[in-house]
Amino acid sequence: MAQSSLPSTEPTVIEKVVAFVDERIGLKQMQAKMLNEPVPGGSRWAYVFGSVLLFIFIMQAVTGILLMFYYVPTADHAYASTQYIIHDVDYGWFLLSYHFWGSTAMVVCVFAHMSQVFLWGAYKPPREMIWLVGLALFGIVMGFGFTGYLLPWDQRAYWATTVGVEIMDKTPLVGDFMARFLKGGPTPGQMTLSRFFVIHVMILPAALMGLAGLHLFLFRAAGPAGPFRGTPEEIRAKTDYFFPRQVWKDIVGMAVVFASICALAFWEPVVLLEEATPDPGEYHPEPEWYFLFLFQLLRLKVFAGEFGQFLGAIALPGAFMALLAALPFIDRDPERNIFKRPIALISWIAVMTAILLFTVSAIINREFLD
Amino acid sequence: MQPQLKSKVRCTDREIGEVTKVIVDPLSHQISHIVVSMNGSGERQVAMALVQTVTDSTVQLRNTSSEIVALPPFNRAEYVSTHEVEIAHLEDKLHVTPGEVLVPFPELEKNVKRRTFFMNFTHAIGFLIGLPIAFPILRYLMKPMYAPFDNGWLKIGNVGKIKSDDIGVQFKYRKKVKEAYLPEAEVEKNIWILKATPAVLEKVYQGKDMEFRDATGKPVWTNKKDIPYVAFSGKCPHLGCGYKWRKHKVLGQVFLCPCHLSIYDASGKVLDGPAPRPLDALPIKVSASGEVEIIDMEFKAGTKSQIRIV
Repeated sequence: MAQSSLPSTEPTVIEKVVAFVDERIGLKQMQAKMLNEPVPGGSRWAYVFGSVLLFIFIMQAVTGILLMFYYVPTADHAYASTQYIIHDVDYGWFLLSYHFWGSTAMVVCVFAHMSQVFLWGAYKPPREMIWLVGLALFGIVMGFGFTGYLLPWDQRAYWATTVGVEIMDKTPLVGDFMARFLKGGPTPGQMTLSRFFVIHVMILPAALMGLAGLHLFLFRAAGPAGPFRGTPEEIRAKTDYFFPRQVWKDIVGMAVVFASICALAFWEPVVLLEEATPDPGEYHPEPEWYFLFLFQLLRLKVFAGEFGQFLGAIALPGAFMALLAALPFIDRDPERNIFKRPIALISWIAVMTAILLFTVSAIINREFLD
Repeated sequence: MQPQLKSKVRCTDREIGEVTKVIVDPLSHQISHIVVSMNGSGERQVAMALVQTVTDSTVQLRNTSSEIVALPPFNRAEYVSTHEVEIAHLEDKLHVTPGEVLVPFPELEKNVKRRTFFMNFTHAIGFLIGLPIAFPILRYLMKPMYAPFDNGWLKIGNVGKIKSDDIGVQFKYRKKVKEAYLPEAEVEKNIWILKATPAVLEKVYQGKDMEFRDATGKPVWTNKKDIPYVAFSGKCPHLGCGYKWRKHKVLGQVFLCPCHLSIYDASGKVLDGPAPRPLDALPIKVSASGEVEIIDMEFKAGTKSQIRIV
């Protein structure tokens, strides 16, 4: 009793364990280096998207691993095992729907993240490599969406893949090989399912982890770009560390995204269509909403015929991605203020408007098909 | 106390220069030598055994200046800086920053003359490991990509259900598939059959019999131009969706693909939309009792010419 009234100077067991590990691998220094990164001009809500994307990816990995406990990637069991997850496994509907809406959140946040970097001019020297690796990550996210879509093996899955692979087939010279390689044959079947499964659960996650690590490493090597306005003195005066203010904003961002995905999974849970088969029946094939604008683009008369299709499906998206990759090398002007970069601002607005218009017109078009 | 960089170095008789580098033993992490700049006349490497006392700004040696000058000049090539080697926990034991902390370049390494050669050699061996497995991996993954064409006839129903001419009638059928190791399964497919009037038939065949060939170019079947039943593959030649027979406000009764809105007339000709070629007519046989048989061919979508893939 007498002892307890005195302040204890003896380290607790936890402190001893931490000290033990710290002595061997420099834990505290590592933590300090991770948290004490100066954020020029101070923390901002606009900077949360990178951390939020990492959070979404971790949750996709967790829910994805859980789905694999029941899912069977074979043409005769994929549909039934997915239905089993939805209807019979406790909370299976929730985990599957979370995974589904998580992929949507991923695409939304990738767009927000890329837009933020673009508008802030943060792709400019010395951050070109971060931007390039980021574009590769964008491609991987799209690949995740495309391959994951097939796995439930319902009509929606089958037809999105059929059309998607036919589009790839239009690549000059290598198109036919690529399409057959992905499908594992001339038409979608078991081999396609196996290949998409391996790509979705092994190859893309490994690629994403590696490239996201590189993305972060390059980001830390170059340092955050900071705001595009303000004198060096003003920016220095507002500078703080990554922890606590930015970490706080990031965790709020993650919580909001988590709550939104949960809400969507709850109110709009995944419902499968009929099992996949080469007869679409009454189903009107359509890709996931974030590919709708491309889908609608291919309905245009200018992209008709063999050459038109190559233009719309391969050349145009390819040229756009090439332009994004070349952006830091074309745009040599060090000015980062978006309000002093009229071409950049107008281009961004034009691209976003075009995507929005095409998506909306694809949705309106649905009504005239029934 | 450890000798600090820039500390003055004094001999028993006079000051001879300052500490420019320290040399650390990579195993004990102890400073073994200091490197002293001799006020412009080269550098000398002085063992810690010769050091008598160390204070904040001075290092006192036991020897006279002439003894130190007589030491061989410091050879930088025998050392590597701590930035170039991995020595765990060195910073915890050493407090000589800022400046150059050196460790001896190992004796065994000094005799290796052809470091670039060894580096390239390593790459070459790695490449030689990769080379023999690249082709097997490619073949392994390519195994199912190319399948021979199936030219077997498939019974799909009776034309008795076609009530009027020039109207697209869908025939659904089940096709057995046996994929690799999987048990035999059935998939649902569909084709469209038209009982064509002579005018439409003329548009389909353009006055010529239609010949179908297998992969080697050998004819497998000929659709006679005067047989009124025409079968269209259910796969839209634009991007492979399934199309429907629909009423269009302006064009009347047409084949319409809901995917990218390609529109074809009863003869399969493109009326509107992005399709690059007409609908694909298939080999068809109709018996006296009206039983229909087809060869289930599939053609690559999106190309101007017909390229058979199944």
